[in-house]
Amino acid sequence: MSGRTPEFYVAPTEAPPSRRPPVTSIGPLGWVRANLFSSPANSVATVITLALVIWFIVSFLSWSIRSAQWGVVYNNLRLIGSGLYDRREIWRVELSTGILVLLTGLSLGIWARVARAAFVAVLVTLGIILLVPILAARIPQPTIHTLIEPRKSPSDFVFVGYKGETVSFTLAPQIDLADLDKPMIGFIEMQSRAEWSTQARQARAGELDLAAYNLVVSLRLVDKTGRTVSTPDGPAEVRFGPDAPGGELEATLPADGWYVLKVTRDDEANGERDDNQGYAWLRIDGIELFSSQEGRTATREAEFGAPPQVERPLYAEEKAYRFEGTRTFGEFINLQIAPFFERIAMPLALGAALFANGWVIGVLGKRERVVRRWTLISWLVAAPVILIILRGFGGSRALPLVSTSVWGGLLLTMLLTIVGITASFPLGVALALGRRSDLPVIKWTCTLFIETIRGVPLITILFMAKLIVPFFWSGLSNIDLTIRMMIGLTLFSAAYLAENVRGGLQIIPHGQIEAARALGLNPFLTTTFIVLPQALRAVIPAIVGQFISLFKDTSLVAVVGLFELVGIVDTIVSGQPIYRPYQREAYFFIAIVYFVISYAMSDVSRRLETSGAGSLRQ
Amino acid sequence: MGNDNSNEPIIICRDVNKWFGNFHVLKDVNLEVQPQEVVVIIGPSGSGKSTFIRCINRLEEHQEGQIIVDGIELSHDVRNIAAIRSEIGMVFQQFNLFPHLTVMQNVSLAPRYVRRQPRRNAEESALQLLARVGIPEQAHKYPGQLSGGQQQRVAIARALAMQPKIMLFDEPTSALDPEMIKEVLDVMKELAQSGMTMLVVTHEMGFAREVADRIVLFDEGRIIEMGTPEHFFTNPQHERTKLFLSQIL
Repeated sequence: MSGRTPEFYVAPTEAPPSRRPPVTSIGPLGWVRANLFSSPANSVATVITLALVIWFIVSFLSWSIRSAQWGVVYNNLRLIGSGLYDRREIWRVELSTGILVLLTGLSLGIWARVARAAFVAVLVTLGIILLVPILAARIPQPTIHTLIEPRKSPSDFVFVGYKGETVSFTLAPQIDLADLDKPMIGFIEMQSRAEWSTQARQARAGELDLAAYNLVVSLRLVDKTGRTVSTPDGPAEVRFGPDAPGGELEATLPADGWYVLKVTRDDEANGERDDNQGYAWLRIDGIELFSSQEGRTATREAEFGAPPQVERPLYAEEKAYRFEGTRTFGEFINLQIAPFFERIAMPLALGAALFANGWVIGVLGKRERVVRRWTLISWLVAAPVILIILRGFGGSRALPLVSTSVWGGLLLTMLLTIVGITASFPLGVALALGRRSDLPVIKWTCTLFIETIRGVPLITILFMAKLIVPFFWSGLSNIDLTIRMMIGLTLFSAAYLAENVRGGLQIIPHGQIEAARALGLNPFLTTTFIVLPQALRAVIPAIVGQFISLFKDTSLVAVVGLFELVGIVDTIVSGQPIYRPYQREAYFFIAIVYFVISYAMSDVSRRLETSGAGSLRQ
Repeated sequence: MGNDNSNEPIIICRDVNKWFGNFHVLKDVNLEVQPQEVVVIIGPSGSGKSTFIRCINRLEEHQEGQIIVDGIELSHDVRNIAAIRSEIGMVFQQFNLFPHLTVMQNVSLAPRYVRRQPRRNAEESALQLLARVGIPEQAHKYPGQLSGGQQQRVAIARALAMQPKIMLFDEPTSALDPEMIKEVLDVMKELAQSGMTMLVVTHEMGFAREVADRIVLFDEGRIIEMGTPEHFFTNPQHERTKLFLSQIL
């Protein structure tokens, strides 16, 4: 072909063999090129956005790993979970959760196809949660610091030790200004920290002469009975005086149980107490701080007996210390993640087992009508049963009344959400149908209701439910606050749902209704079988969006005095002084909880949209 | 209710008038249809032919005159409307299948919930009907998975499932691709041969000529001419009829 188009062309009988496309247009490279750097503007946007995202992730991880203190979360899991719910009756919350988990497993087994990847992900997560605490036990414990002062009598350090563990105690006199600049990493006893901050400031200002150190301190490690522990070099006992002001005492523990490090300061060596000068840090290695939680205290005392009585005890108990300094990743796992996982591992494993049971039954029985029918019936029965289990009866011994005013935490958040969803959905559909009714009175009433509710903020509705409604109608003041909040949330959510559903009703072609009428279906059957299924499916995203809003809006009931997730975290960080510095951690944690649940809801919504008949439209 | 005395017309329309707002759609329409008769209604767009057959199962309300179907007069009485609708099957131009239900559910829905047939019976007869319209193998698909011709055949099966005495067809082939028209017309022919009373609004003159007992020409809301196909195609009387035929043949 010489430049000019020939008048006549016939393709050769053999088609040329297919070749691979150029490497820059396929595979990862092609993708990057086409999506990330397709134009100069796109390249700039990609780089800037990625930089921002990376910066955010890195700073968050750095905070979370190096300095965040998640103890406020893992020491308060019961409060976060069920609020002030009577702790002797907590099994009722657990039982209710168990019922829900079992039914969820059963239903998913029957009706859902679960991707293998999801399975693996769940198993891996569970495995990590179970394994991390075990592995973390091998990571060395951070150093514990307590200050020896010239005037205040030193405390005896009481701790739990295990056979074969090596513990070491180091006395480090602070005799040099340079010592002040050395970073301290580990647990620092909080009063010591406060005292040392003051003294260090004075030393820097020249008002305190550190070099004048003259303390004489003896350390002696005794077991529970008061006998001195023996080491290969003799009894575990050492005295630090003017010639050797600091040093180490090391011992291998002979048995499991309580130990006391007796700390005595010899005041007579300097004449009397007022002549003591200087400060020294006592550093303790190889010991794990124990939890301050009541349940764990009880377990510990059952195992090792009550802690030994000493005159001025300083217990190796978490709540007396604060972690300082930049943590390593190992310490992060050991101090922050492991205790958390350790506390949730058992309940999670039980829950997973229950879920798996339900799921297996569901999968095996999915073809059996009986199984399906009973699952549906169980769901219907479960709701009232759970409410009865949780609330109980006045005067009953097996199920004593637990007033709804002490329901709290995630329990209350979930109850408000579930009740709100199940009650507002039918109400919203009814309102939407009512607003499109041919009967003017019904239509106007529904419209008035919807527009009124949509015209006021949720918080005012909640306050009205709390304050104004009982004022108008005294009968309502007997209904307790939690129920009134449920009603308020339901009405609010129903009004918005009604508008969403109405949007769905409007897109149903008139031909559908005509076809149904021509077949002899009455208006009720037409609505039930033809209009609503199509209308609701069309607005699933909007409806689930409303449910997610409802879930998040339950946090507003904290303002009227209920202790759901936000309310209980408020109470924890303001009510327990030791957790006051850790508001960030606490609120961050519940943010994650809210996110995980919201995300799960929207994921379910996406699956519903693309499943079954909804994806096959004309 | 009705009887099958073939001397009695199964549909009687007397001086039917209808307005959309101020627009006079149907003007003094008089028509009687005998049982087992196939009446084809033709006419230009907007002539009121669709409105007319929609009046017969009261998807539209007429304002003056009488429509009596199988001895029951159409009125505002809800029971009458329900009774008449279960006597009359209707097939729409746009099929109007229920997209969220399978073919089987589309066909068996009304028998199950209006006639209260047990599910198994309803599904068995649905399968027979699907076999009759030639698509038994599509029973568990959704309408969106079928071709237009198949959908319209499902729509016919759905209407037949209520065992109607009368079938109304409102331009059943107008929304179909040309190659699918025949399969629908064949089903309709078979239906006509089986003795179903049919009112068919269509532009398919071949069908009209072959199957109709009578052809009715509508224009501007009234019946212009009515007669056997032979009369209609060989010896039309009205000028309008001649003009219409000359345009479409």
